[in-house]
Formats: sequence, C-alpha cells, structure tokens
Amino acid sequence: MTWTCEQTEARLSDYLDGLLNADEWSAFNQHVNACAVCTPLVSSVAHTLGGLYALEQVEPPPQLETAILLATVGVARHTFDFWGWLRNLQSPRFIYGAVSVAATFVLLLSATGFNWRKPKLADLSPATIYRRADSNIHLFYGHSVKFVRDLRVVYEVQQAIDQNQQQNLREETIPQSSPKKEPGRTDNTNPSTPKQQNRADDISRRLEVLACEFPILSGSLADRRVP
Amino acid sequence: MRRHTRRIFNICYRFTGNRTEAEDLTQEVFLRVYRTLASYRSAHGGFATWMTSVTRNLLIDHYRRTKRDRVTDSLDDAMPVVENKESVARRPDEQALLGELSGQVQSALTRLSPELREAVILRDLQQLEYIEIQRVLEVPEGTVKSRINRGRIELARILQQMGVRPA
Repeated sequence: MTWTCEQTEARLSDYLDGLLNADEWSAFNQHVNACAVCTPLVSSVAHTLGGLYALEQVEPPPQLETAILLATVGVARHTFDFWGWLRNLQSPRFIYGAVSVAATFVLLLSATGFNWRKPKLADLSPATIYRRADSNIHLFYGHSVKFVRDLRVVYEVQQAIDQNQQQNLREETIPQSSPKKEPGRTDNTNPSTPKQQNRADDISRRLEVLACEFPILSGSLADRRVP
Repeated sequence: MRRHTRRIFNICYRFTGNRTEAEDLTQEVFLRVYRTLASYRSAHGGFATWMTSVTRNLLIDHYRRTKRDRVTDSLDDAMPVVENKESVARRPDEQALLGELSGQVQSALTRLSPELREAVILRDLQQLEYIEIQRVLEVPEGTVKSRINRGRIELARILQQMGVRPA
C-alpha cells in the first residue's frame, strides 16, 4: 500500500504520537523516504514538537494570587445581595432555628411569670424578672417537695394494703384435714334439698290416700306387712 | 489554588504571548469561575477540565474583542522574517525569560489561528488527553485530531518562515 502526500500529512501527528499500527507505519515510512516534499515536512514538525515540549512553565507573578483573591472573595464581601440573603432566610434550617429561639424565649418569659394577657413594660425590667423568677423557683421547689411527700404516703398505704391482701390469701390457701368416713355413714355434707324433701312428703301422702280408697289393697298390704 | 493559577496563567500566556494580558485574563477566569461555580457539574468532566473550558471561552472572547488591535500586528507579520527576528531581538527581557527557541516558538504560536492555537496549547503544552480536549473545545474527536495535526504543521511552517531551522 502506497500513501499519497495528503494521506501522509493527515496522519503525521498519529505517526509522531506513535498511534499508527505496523502496516500504516510501514506505508508512512515508505512514502516519506521516497517523497522530497514530505521528508523535510516530517523533520520540521518533529523539531517543532520538540520545541513545544521544551517550553517551560512560566511562573505567574506572586501578586497574582492576591489579586485573584481580592477580585473574587473581596468583591463578594463588598456586594451585598439582599434578595439572596432573603432567599437564605427561607431555608428550613433557619426556620427551625428561629422557631426554637422563639419557643425558648416564650418559655423563659413564662417561667419568670410574665403575663401574656396584660403585658407591661415594667414586667421586662431585670429586677422584676429576678424577683418573679426567684419566687417561681421557690414555689416550684415547694410544690415538688409536697408532691414527693404525697407520693411517699400513697406508696406506704399501697404497701400496707398489699401486705394485708397477701396475708389473707396465704390463710385461704392452707389445706384443712377432712374427717374419717365410716361405712354406712355420711358426713352430712350433702343434705337433701328442701325440694327433694317436699317431693318425698308428697309421695307418702298419696300412698295414704290410696290406702283409704282401696281397703282391700290396704288390707292385703296390711297382711303382707304383718306376717 | 496555586496549581490552578499556574496552569491557567500558562494557557493564557501561551495563547496571548503577553504577560500583562495573561495576568488580567487569569484573574478574569477565576472571577468567572467564582461567579459560575454553581453551574459546575462533575458529570461534564473534572474541575480542571471545566476550568480549562472557561479559560478557553474567555480567550476566544478576548481574541474577538481585540481583533481590531491586531490589524496592525498582522501588518507586522507580513514583514520579512529578518525584521521579525529583529523585533524579537528588541525585547531582551522576554528573550532572557524564555530563551531564544522558546521565544520563537511562542512568537509562532501567537501567529496561529485561534482554533489551531488552542488545540496545540492544550495538547502539546498542557498535555491534555484527546477526550479532555474534546470536552473543552466541544467538538468531535476527529476535529480535535485534525486541528492538532494542522496546528503542528502550520507552526512548523511559521517557524521555517522565521528562519528557525531544526538543530
């Protein structure tokens, strides 16, 4: 495969960067070695590339960094973006923070006894706030002590009731010794009920009526009874 | 901060060939980056690539803005190479800083068209990969390769015109 001058020129950078495959490299060399135009071109471009690679990095002046910082951060400090600042206020973090601060403020004022229904400017004076806070702290301490004492009394009463209940339960659960049973005797633990007794009386009464109505039967019965 | 400053300053300096302009442009790049930091998305490449992209856009803007000023420069460019070499020799501070070859290469770079110049600077001076250059320039990879190749050839021809011969 023989390359033309145009092909060689088009692939010159690939040749210098080592991006040609073996066949292309061979065709490139074959053409360059035979072409009077391309030989100096390749040589001059290769040396130009060497000159480019030999260029050293130029050091920027030391004051450039300072100037850049002044031009960026410094400028940003001087220009106040009101709408940007306002947009930042809409962030959830700021809103939560503001609500927390307001809640703390309300809580502290309430703790000092500030009257929200009839607010007075005198209520916000440090002396008033101190006096009310001191009074409220003592009041709170007194209530707390009383509450703890009440709790102790309730606990002791509850404990006494529980002990009593446990003692009763223990007595009920102790097993009693049962009397010995003899043959032919009952312990009268299951007496006949009044309803059963009435029924037995009713049967004997009917037998007596039958004996009156049927004397033979009653006689035969009597004979049978008396041997 | 220092690393980015150095890199951006070098890109600006190689593109404009002027230290003062490079300083101003570097400062402007950082200002633009600072203002448009919210628009940066890591999905579009690394931060350095994004910053290079901002630099490139600013350099192109600067090139278009100062196009009128360069009309006189183009007249100077049309002058014979010997005169051009003399004009380079008239700036001893720059010669001392960059060296003879560096100065000539830098001079040749500024005579390249901006499309080819930025491609060569990003590839051969900043050592960026093709994919990174593709992201910065926002052109297909084939176009990137083509611009780099044409830029190198054009730069070699300019250097030849300036009388610089390969050692």
